[in-house]
Amino acid sequence: MGQQELDISGLNLESKSGPTVADELPKVSLAREKLLEEARRALESEEGGRKSASLVIIGHVDAGKSTLIGRLLYELGRVDEKTKIANERASDKIGKGSFSWAWELDGTTEERERGITMDVALQALETPNRRITILDAPGHRDFIPNMISGATQADCALLVVDSSTGEFEAGFERGGQTREHLILVRSLGVSQVVVAVNKLDQVDWSRDRYEDVCEQLKAFLVQSGFHPSRTSFVPVGAMAGVNLLDRSGSDVLALRAWYSGPTLVNLLDTLQPPTRDIDAPLRFPIFNVFKGSASATGVSGRICGGIVQVGERLRILPGDETAVVKSIESESEAEPLPWAAAGSNVTLYLIAVDPIHLSIGSVLCSPSNLIPLASVFTARIIVFDIEVPILAGTSVELFHQSRNVPASISKLTAILDRASGGVTKNNPRVLTKGASAEVQITIRPVAFSGPASRAQPIPIEPFASNKDMGRILIRRGGETISAGIVLTVVS
Amino acid sequence: MKLVGKHINKDHSGYVSIRPEDDEDMWHLYNLIQEGDNVRAPAIRRVQNVSATGSSESHRVRTTLTLTVSRVEFSPSTAPTGAEASSSSTTPLEPTASLQVTGRVAAENSHVKLGAFHTLDIEANRDVRIEKLEWDSIALERIEEASIPGRGAEVGAIVCGEGTAAFCLLSQHMTVVRQRIAVPVPRKRTGSATAHERGLSRFYDTLYQTFLRHIPYSSPSLRAIVIASPGWVRDAVFDHIMAEATRTGNRALLGARPKFVRVHINSPHVHSLVEVLKSPEIVSQLKETKFAREGIMLDKFFKMLGSDEQRAWYGPDHVSLAVDRGAVGTLLISDELFRASDPQLRKRYVTLVEDVREKRGEVLIFSSMHESGQQLNQITGIAAILNFPLDVEVVEAEEREAKEEAEKKLQESAEGA
Repeated sequence: MGQQELDISGLNLESKSGPTVADELPKVSLAREKLLEEARRALESEEGGRKSASLVIIGHVDAGKSTLIGRLLYELGRVDEKTKIANERASDKIGKGSFSWAWELDGTTEERERGITMDVALQALETPNRRITILDAPGHRDFIPNMISGATQADCALLVVDSSTGEFEAGFERGGQTREHLILVRSLGVSQVVVAVNKLDQVDWSRDRYEDVCEQLKAFLVQSGFHPSRTSFVPVGAMAGVNLLDRSGSDVLALRAWYSGPTLVNLLDTLQPPTRDIDAPLRFPIFNVFKGSASATGVSGRICGGIVQVGERLRILPGDETAVVKSIESESEAEPLPWAAAGSNVTLYLIAVDPIHLSIGSVLCSPSNLIPLASVFTARIIVFDIEVPILAGTSVELFHQSRNVPASISKLTAILDRASGGVTKNNPRVLTKGASAEVQITIRPVAFSGPASRAQPIPIEPFASNKDMGRILIRRGGETISAGIVLTVVS
Repeated sequence: MKLVGKHINKDHSGYVSIRPEDDEDMWHLYNLIQEGDNVRAPAIRRVQNVSATGSSESHRVRTTLTLTVSRVEFSPSTAPTGAEASSSSTTPLEPTASLQVTGRVAAENSHVKLGAFHTLDIEANRDVRIEKLEWDSIALERIEEASIPGRGAEVGAIVCGEGTAAFCLLSQHMTVVRQRIAVPVPRKRTGSATAHERGLSRFYDTLYQTFLRHIPYSSPSLRAIVIASPGWVRDAVFDHIMAEATRTGNRALLGARPKFVRVHINSPHVHSLVEVLKSPEIVSQLKETKFAREGIMLDKFFKMLGSDEQRAWYGPDHVSLAVDRGAVGTLLISDELFRASDPQLRKRYVTLVEDVREKRGEVLIFSSMHESGQQLNQITGIAAILNFPLDVEVVEAEEREAKEEAEKKLQESAEGA
């Protein structure tokens, strides 16, 4: 040891147990071009085998979303008998026996006590031809921010409606979540929806009721922009597991008498995943951050563009930090993956980074191609059915991926024609319901004045360069008032 | 704020001497002092002397200076630092807002030459004299309002979501965000919710500690403590605060239990304070306070805009047209407009307010330190609820006609001559 080194070690400058020091940084195994080639090949070979898709479960509060998924997981053998019995016992104990199926997804104490889903639960299941990532969204209106954050990661949606008398109507009327959720997922780019008409057992498997519900929904789906060929309907009884995988059993004779169509699993098996943009620059918006094993920090989310591999160094935006990918895991695979491409819901384990720099809503990208940060941008929006019109200066909450920030609509540039997209009026005074418009949106500063009164820019990208990263939702006072796409980043 | 002396001449010029006492008084001063006024206040000035031999010495002197104001700057309270903070729960808060007045010295004294620049740091409990060439009704009203004793009713508010919380103090004219906390709470994951629950309990602990430090819960001037959140976070937070208070035997906090109010809001951002002020729980408690009234009227304006567009007008030009027609029932105007450096502009707004009052209309001057004022500022800072519907386009057309006619007349008279 040289004199110099001795001096330095004498000062005890080095931290005694730096876990990151001990870690060998994994090496990048493939060049980008080669990796892209491999990914493309893998996607093609998928055509023959199981295609993967992600599915968000939506619907009004208490429609039975979590129960349906809990039961479906059990039917498909994803939940073992032991867990099922444990859940049954424990839920019976606190007098909420009817929620036992949902307990598989509603893991937190509070969710179980209240019998309500509060945050998105991630699960995976396999049908004969599909590998599906399930995002079970909360239906309660206070948790719509969580639902949006889940829906941004989905390709398709499964709408669960409660068909029992009065309940369907409650969810479907103005202010009900059946309506709002459908509009939300459509605005977030989901174009395929399966409608599960649930709790039909409570109306004695009445065919009239089923058809009535379907008719009402069909009209609304078309109106919201879903193509009839990409929507399908299925009657189910989630609690008893009727028509999920099959409809055997004597208690469902009434259903079999008039229904001979596909089961829920049959429908899920035909979901068409959209084309994946793997050539685009990497965008990975963080949905969840948690402490992984050893020194790694886990971040989960969906890759919104590009491709990522083990050993790659990624930039965290906003901020100046970078991290290295130690391993990649997926809910639907047992083995860790060497790489993952756009459209897959994965967990990245990152090292060489302080977890404090990783927060929900940040975006990971490759250091050579960063996502722009914006505090002012222009957008084209569609105004929903609102009572109070939008003025220049209206305070709103802006939802983008898993992030939601206070913002204001700072300028109304023009009202556009909904069909042609041409300008019908420049500098309008207000935007009323149903309008399509071009506006400027400004992120609001966190403090009223003083040094903190500068707005924190958020990572956002024009729709033209990345579809998923260019979609925004605008809410005000607990109501979704508008959705749109980012046109240009101003500053 | 104490009014120490006041002398106003018939031509509205004159001076007012006041003694600011708390943060809110600093805000009042900020709104009173305008470019061009003379301000006299105690100051600390570094004086440099060069002796005959060329050596220079400098020392600080405490003196009283009179400045002709060229710039005023205000910054709301910053979070107090550790040591002084612990006492804040029982004693009234020390002022932490700062106000700086920059200008040239208008009265020479033995230390400072005429015309030298100086920046005054306005201190609490030291007299300040403001001389204006014209004291308008708005300024005088503000002095009067500010010097009523015992108006220090305050509300503490915690706006929280899962993992985030903002601690605010609301007084008549100000909302001060004293502290924000953000604790990362991991989402639940398949099979295990322990990380989520650990994150939550860390969040509640941080929240409790911050609460003790920033909300003066036992001060008698604090009327209510609002815990607002979407979902059920507010219940969990309240239970946690009370449980911790019981565990640590915090009598003062347990005694403040009736002050707590839980309110449902739709988003965990500070701007949801407007929703808090609209909620029935708060309205019944704070009906007469200024900020509650502001929140209600702003809400009414927005609702009116949706239901009856012709009775809700905004923007300076449109509102002044409506005032000309005697249509304004309630005028909502932000104090920011009166801070205009151009005296003409300020005068215009002052006359607008006086006109509305003359016609028995109600005038609400919003404070831009409140969320409602911020939202009003976003829509030009001036809005009006009209007594009867008026169509903007019709009125504008009328104006154009009148203007054309006037021009025509002018032309005719010119031709005639």
